[in-house]
Amino acid sequence: MAFLSPLFLLGLAALAVPVLIHLIQRERKRVVEFPSLMFLRRIPYQSVRRRRIHHWALLLLRLAVLALVVTAFARPFFRSGALAAASGGAREVVVLVDRSYSMGHEGQWARVQSAARDEFARLGPGDRASLVAFAAGAELAVRSTGDRDRLAAAVGTLSPTAAATRFGPALKLAASIAAESELPVRELVLISDFQRAAWDPGDAVRLPERTSLRPVSIAPEGAVNLSIAPVTVQRGTFAGQERITLTTGVLNRSDQDLTRDVVLEIDGRPVQTATVQVAAFGSQAVQFEPVLVTKAHTRAVVRLPADALAADNAAYVVLSPPQPLAVTVLSAGSARSAGILHLSRALAIGDRPRFDATYQQGDGVAADLLDRARVVIVTDTAVSAAAAERLARFVEGGGGLLVALGRLGSVPGALLPGTPGPAVERVRGVPGTLGSLEFGHPVFEAFRQPRSGDFSTARFYGYRSLQLDPNLGASVLARFDDGSPALVERRHGQGRVLVWTSTLDLTWSDLPLKPVYLPFVHQLTRYLAAYRELPPSQTVGQVVDAADATATVTGDLVALTPTGARVPLASGAPPVISLDEPGFYEVRPQTAGAAPVLVAASNVELSEADPGRVDPDEIVTALGGAAGGAAGAAGAGVVVPDETQERTQRIWWYLLFAGILLLAGETVLSHRVSRVAR
Amino acid sequence: MVHAPIPGARFVDPAVLARVSNLELVARSVVDGVINGLHRSPFFGASVDFAEHRGYVPGDDIRRVDWRVYARTDKYFVKEFEADSNSNFSVLVDVSKSMAYGARVSKLDYARTLAACLTYLVHQQRDRVGLATFDEDVVDYVPPSAKHLEAVLHTLDRARAVRPGRFGAPVRKLSEHFGRRGIVAVVSDLYEEPSEIFDALGLIRFRGNDVILFHVLDPSEIDFDFADPSAFQDLETGEQLPIVPDALAESYRAQIRAHLADLESRANANRIDYTLLNTRVPLDHALFAYMSIRDRLTRVR
Repeated sequence: MAFLSPLFLLGLAALAVPVLIHLIQRERKRVVEFPSLMFLRRIPYQSVRRRRIHHWALLLLRLAVLALVVTAFARPFFRSGALAAASGGAREVVVLVDRSYSMGHEGQWARVQSAARDEFARLGPGDRASLVAFAAGAELAVRSTGDRDRLAAAVGTLSPTAAATRFGPALKLAASIAAESELPVRELVLISDFQRAAWDPGDAVRLPERTSLRPVSIAPEGAVNLSIAPVTVQRGTFAGQERITLTTGVLNRSDQDLTRDVVLEIDGRPVQTATVQVAAFGSQAVQFEPVLVTKAHTRAVVRLPADALAADNAAYVVLSPPQPLAVTVLSAGSARSAGILHLSRALAIGDRPRFDATYQQGDGVAADLLDRARVVIVTDTAVSAAAAERLARFVEGGGGLLVALGRLGSVPGALLPGTPGPAVERVRGVPGTLGSLEFGHPVFEAFRQPRSGDFSTARFYGYRSLQLDPNLGASVLARFDDGSPALVERRHGQGRVLVWTSTLDLTWSDLPLKPVYLPFVHQLTRYLAAYRELPPSQTVGQVVDAADATATVTGDLVALTPTGARVPLASGAPPVISLDEPGFYEVRPQTAGAAPVLVAASNVELSEADPGRVDPDEIVTALGGAAGGAAGAAGAGVVVPDETQERTQRIWWYLLFAGILLLAGETVLSHRVSRVAR
Repeated sequence: MVHAPIPGARFVDPAVLARVSNLELVARSVVDGVINGLHRSPFFGASVDFAEHRGYVPGDDIRRVDWRVYARTDKYFVKEFEADSNSNFSVLVDVSKSMAYGARVSKLDYARTLAACLTYLVHQQRDRVGLATFDEDVVDYVPPSAKHLEAVLHTLDRARAVRPGRFGAPVRKLSEHFGRRGIVAVVSDLYEEPSEIFDALGLIRFRGNDVILFHVLDPSEIDFDFADPSAFQDLETGEQLPIVPDALAESYRAQIRAHLADLESRANANRIDYTLLNTRVPLDHALFAYMSIRDRLTRVR
């Protein structure tokens, strides 16, 4: 039992007033000296005695009323922990242990383990407990058992991970364990350092009824820690060669000004060192000299000297020389002709990736070009049957084909999603516009947001009709205002075919003059090439899809983790790597001496090193609110702030009501007593 | 009138004396005296009240020979007259602690005033005055004497109600001093069993003394007009009893009425003058009422 306004309890001293008055009156002021009690003594004593008992009853009743009113004003409530204890019965305890990398501070993990063992040591004979280890995700280490030795042993097997803290999944898992329990009292014990980033108030976590949450905060105190910010990669050209500039930052998490050397390692060798001075709780940017990267999957590490928390002292990044995307353009004219002028200029501007465009005139296409190219663009050109056959094989093998029909465009065979029909002239009257776009498609997704590209201003004076073949599984990605297809896609083999029914030059539209043209062409090309840029560094907890990188590799693959573990990638299953440790992951064929086909850099989430803490009561309050909605008047025993608990329980109301009832009873009793006395 | 130098003179209330000065406190029985006074003497003596004739014997004063009888009978007869005598007058004042009670005037003060006024009055009749105070034992004793008025007043002045009281033992002890017949006035609140009271007074009465019993009570002792529930403390023993007056008053009043009736009944049986004095009634009125009745009854004899 606790009180929200305990000072009101001083009012209980008022209880002594009537008693003191009574005693003083009886023993002092109300003592009447009388010459002799000779006659009074002869009167039967019972009558006096009985009268006294009745008065005491009234006195006690009035005192009880006073006590109830005073106690009600003190606003009492049961703390949920006390409630659980008071309610009795066996407990279902779920201990949640935070093993994010911030627990790697010196000595902190031992404190966490000790706290968890203490919780298990307090289990009663009928209690059961579960152990949930969590960081970004949650893992049930031991499910509901009364075996304290087993639980304690399980705590000993845990160790901090490289992931950041997220309370949401852990609390959901713990809540589900509590909900399944049949024990009357359920208690969640959250052992963590309560980092600000770990708690998302939007997490829709609900605690079951009669479930309380008790936070146990174990935070490092006064630790000196520096963190390396994520490394940004800037590419620049110098003397015809692409150089890469790495920029990072050093964050000082302590209250001391610190000076440290920051070392850049390339493929394991220190190549540059920068000395930085960082003010307390400040940050300092570090930019290294540009480096020339000639080899794919070059591993760069920016490293700080060791401090209290080692996990955030290194930032890993993978650097590779530029890989241009080969595009072959088939057109009726040369690259400098007006027909492909805008297209060629657009392809020349691209840098992510850079496009390596090859232009060919005529109706045929050379086999070597197709071998090298990843995308073929046919613009306003009638392709020969032989070329069409090559293109079909090219697309089947995973290539991308864009056909801008124009007035002349045609591709024999069944490669296109439909049969091109006659041209629709919109020269007279109102020119055509794009009526609808599939913004959900990757081609148009980039233009989804407002002011990110306006296709409606483009005027189309002509386009070809396209009779879609329903058997080919074609999908229309864009239509003109009269409903005619403007952009149609179909899959063929492993590749994709897109048909643009108008032109990519100014013959039939002014689209090339619109700002949206350039990104539109780039999006079309990237989509057809299935281009996916692997970021130079990723964060622990992310998943890397190695499908693109391993598409051309035959045989079994193996993934090597930063700690050297070999994880075979099952054939047939999607080659996916989960980044669980900071460092470099690589995927390579299992054959000896094979070069890696993919290298991914994994870094810890920097927010985990942020010493900012969330108030545990804030979490408790948020869960209390959520549970309150679910439990309603049942009053879930969630540990919430005192005010919330008191407001939920409203014990004062019952006390006041009881006081009023007693007052009514006192009235009745006093009337009866006085009547009897008369 | 008593002058200031006498310490107990304050108890001689002029108002009381003014009211009763024309009355006499005369012994109803025969008392022993040495000088002429207001009281009947056991001896024949000189007075105006003829008693009898007796034959002359040599030695008789020839002036007392009744010559008219000699003329008729030719024999000498001497006239005998009733003799008047002065008397011993003693007041026994109860100074037990219960006598200190009294809301407006304490019973002790009332009793002392009563004793002083009676003593002064009797002294004016040339009677010998004495005093005894007692509580659980005899506190002071002033033997009767014509010169002891000041001693009596002084003793009254010194009397304090400090000890618990008993009636029987001290009165029995004092009865030894009353061998010579006289008037004994007892002033007390009589918180004792009536049988014990009259057993003790009987000793004095049987020695030929005329006993007057003044029963002094405060009005609250008679009416028991308390209202609030309180702890009643016995003044003498200190014992406390929680009392709810509303519930007990009637019973108490019945008890006190029975007690007073018993006292009066026993006093009549023992030929003792019993007078209940309520301190609410001014002493002059109370004493005047008593003495008027007594005086009237005395003259009837």
